[in-house]
Amino acid sequence: MRPVAVVAAGVATPIGLDLETFWSGLITGVDGTSRIERFEVGDLRVGRGGEIKKLASAGQAPHRACRASSMLLRAADDLLAHAGLGADAGRVAVVLGTALGGVEELDRALTDTPGPRTAAAGLYDSPAFALARRLGAAGPVLTVSTACASGATALGIGADLLNSDAADLVVAGGYDVLCRFVMRGFDALRSLTRDRVRPFDRRRNGLLLGEAAGLVLLARASEARAPLGRLLGHASSSDGSHIAAPDPDGRGLEHAVRAAMAAAGVGAADVDLVSAHGTGTVLNDRIETSVIKRVLGAHAHAVPVNSIKGAIGHTMGAAATLEAIMCLLAARDGVVPSTLGYEEPDPACDLDYVPRAARQVRTRMSLSTSLGFGGCNAALVLEGGA
Amino acid sequence: MTRVTGIGLLTGWGAGTAALPDDARATGAGRRVVALPRPAYDGERFRRATRECLLGVAAVDAMLADAGLDRGAIGGPDTALIYASAAAYGASNRAFIVGGPSVYFPYTAPSAVPAEVAIEYGLRGGYVILVGGATACIEALWQAATLLGSGRCRRAIVLAVETFAECETLWSRGRWTVRGPLVEAAACALLEGDGEVCYAVGVIPAPLEMVARQRAGETLACGPLIALALAREAGEALPRVTGQWRGRRMGVTLELATAAARTRS
Repeated sequence: MRPVAVVAAGVATPIGLDLETFWSGLITGVDGTSRIERFEVGDLRVGRGGEIKKLASAGQAPHRACRASSMLLRAADDLLAHAGLGADAGRVAVVLGTALGGVEELDRALTDTPGPRTAAAGLYDSPAFALARRLGAAGPVLTVSTACASGATALGIGADLLNSDAADLVVAGGYDVLCRFVMRGFDALRSLTRDRVRPFDRRRNGLLLGEAAGLVLLARASEARAPLGRLLGHASSSDGSHIAAPDPDGRGLEHAVRAAMAAAGVGAADVDLVSAHGTGTVLNDRIETSVIKRVLGAHAHAVPVNSIKGAIGHTMGAAATLEAIMCLLAARDGVVPSTLGYEEPDPACDLDYVPRAARQVRTRMSLSTSLGFGGCNAALVLEGGA
Repeated sequence: MTRVTGIGLLTGWGAGTAALPDDARATGAGRRVVALPRPAYDGERFRRATRECLLGVAAVDAMLADAGLDRGAIGGPDTALIYASAAAYGASNRAFIVGGPSVYFPYTAPSAVPAEVAIEYGLRGGYVILVGGATACIEALWQAATLLGSGRCRRAIVLAVETFAECETLWSRGRWTVRGPLVEAAACALLEGDGEVCYAVGVIPAPLEMVARQRAGETLACGPLIALALAREAGEALPRVTGQWRGRRMGVTLELATAAARTRS
C-alpha cells in the first residue's frame, strides 16, 4: 500500500474537547468516566460511562444538530484549527465509522411524533452528511459500520480513496454517542462493569461505554506534509464465528493484523507500540494478548501494549480513530499513555501493558487493533512524524 | 478488469430478473412497500436471526447457484465480504426500541447481516460494511475491486439487503419515498479479476439505473446490483451502473462474465 499522510487531527472526548487537552488527559491519567447525567439510567445495572458533559455549550453546532453531529462538528472545528482543506470541494471525501449512527434520533422518531427531518436524522449516515456540509466536502461521503472496529476501517477506506485517486483529501474518523439505546443493549448483555474498566487486569470484568468523535485529515503522502505521521497499512477481516463474541482463537484478528503489516511492509521487530482494543472484558483481552504474541513472537514482550479505554470508556465507532491518534501523538512526544485501571497482572495476559503512569519511550511504528460485534476485525499500522 | 461471475437476486416481486414487472409503480398499485417473506432457514443455528439476516443468506445462496459454485467454494480468508444497506437495520432497531429486549441486542447492528453470512459460509477475509443507499453499493463494488486489485482477496462478495415493512410509517415521512414503491430486496454479486474498475463521482445517471428503478421500484442499496442483473439479461458485457443517495451520485463500470465463462469457472 502507498503510505498516506496524516496531516491533522481533531477530537471531542470525555477528557477533552480538543486534541491537546485529550492528549494531556491521557498522559496524566485523567479518568473520563462518571455517572451518566444526560438521560435516565436508574433502571440499568450500570449507569456510568465516558460522557461528555458540556458539549452543547462548548460546541458550535447548528441549533438543530443531533448530538452525534454536534460531536463531529466540534471535532471538525478542532481539526480545521490545525489544517485547512485546500482542495477542490469535489475532491474532498468524508469517511466516518460508527456503530450506532443516528440511532438516538431513530429512537426519537419512533417514540415521538416527528416530522420528516427527524425521520431522516434517524438514518445511520445522517451525521456524516452533516459533517460534509460543514466542511463543504462535495466528494464521496461514506459511512462505515463495522461495529466497534469502524473507526479503523474508515481510515483504511480513506487511504483507499486517496490511493485510487477518487479524492485528494479525506476527512476520516469515527464517532458514537452514549444513549439509552446502547446502554440498554449492553446492560442486557451484562457486558458493563460495576467496577472501573481494567483492561488486561486479573480482576477485569467488563467495559464501560463512552462517547466521542475523532477525525483525521488524510492526503497522499507524495503530495502533503505529514506532521502527525503516516498510515502505512490497514486490513480488515471477519471472524465468521459468532454474532457477538470474538473468535476464541482470534483467527480473524490475526489475519487482519498480518495483512496490515504486510501491506505496510513492516515486520514484527519494527513495531514499537501496540495500541490494543483492550476493552476490559475477560475474553477480548485474553484473545488480543494471544494474537499479539503469535504475530510479534518474542518481540511481543519487548513492546509496550496499552489501552485507553480505562480513561474514556469504549467509545465504539470513535475508539479506533482515537487510538490511532494516540499512537501518532505518542511518537510525536516520546511518551506512551498508561493503561488506566490496570493494576494486577493476569497470567493469561502477560505482556507489558504500561502500568501506573505514562512512560517516556521513543516510538515510531505502531500497530493498532480493533474488534467489534459481528466478528469485525481491523488493524492499522502507523508511523509517527519525523 | 473486475468481472462479475455470479448474481443472486430476490425482491418483493420474486426471485431473479424474470420476476420483475415492466413497471413497478403500476404493478404496485399504490402500495408503499412490497415486502419479502422471511426465508425458511430453520433450526437452532438461526434461532435468533432476524429476517434481514436470513435474506442476506438467501441472496448468497442464490448467487452461488447462479455462479455454479457450492457453499464450500467461498469459505476462508481469501473471500472478502462487502455489505451495503440503508435500511435493513431499521426493523431490528425498531423492535429493540419499541418492544424492549425482544431482539438480541447484537442483531440491532448493521453488522448483524454480514456476520450471519460470514458465519454461514465461513468467510474470514476482508470485511467492509457501508451504510447508505445506491451510492453505498457503488462504493461497495469499488471497494471489492480495490481489495482484489491489492491482492487482499481472491474473490469478493458484494451483498445488499433492504427491508422496509417494519418501519413503513417512518419511511413514508421521508422524501426519498416519493418515487416508490419501496420494494424489499436482497441482492448479491461475486467479483473476481485483477481489480481494475472505473469508479467515478458526480456522474450522470446511466440508462440502467432508470430501467432498474422502473422495473424493480425503489430498492436503495440493492439498485446497482439489480442493474447489473438486468444488464446481464440484456447481454451487456461492460455495463456502467450508477446510483444516487442524498444528493450524491456515483458510478462504476464492471465486466460481466458470459454464461459460458461462468460455466467454465
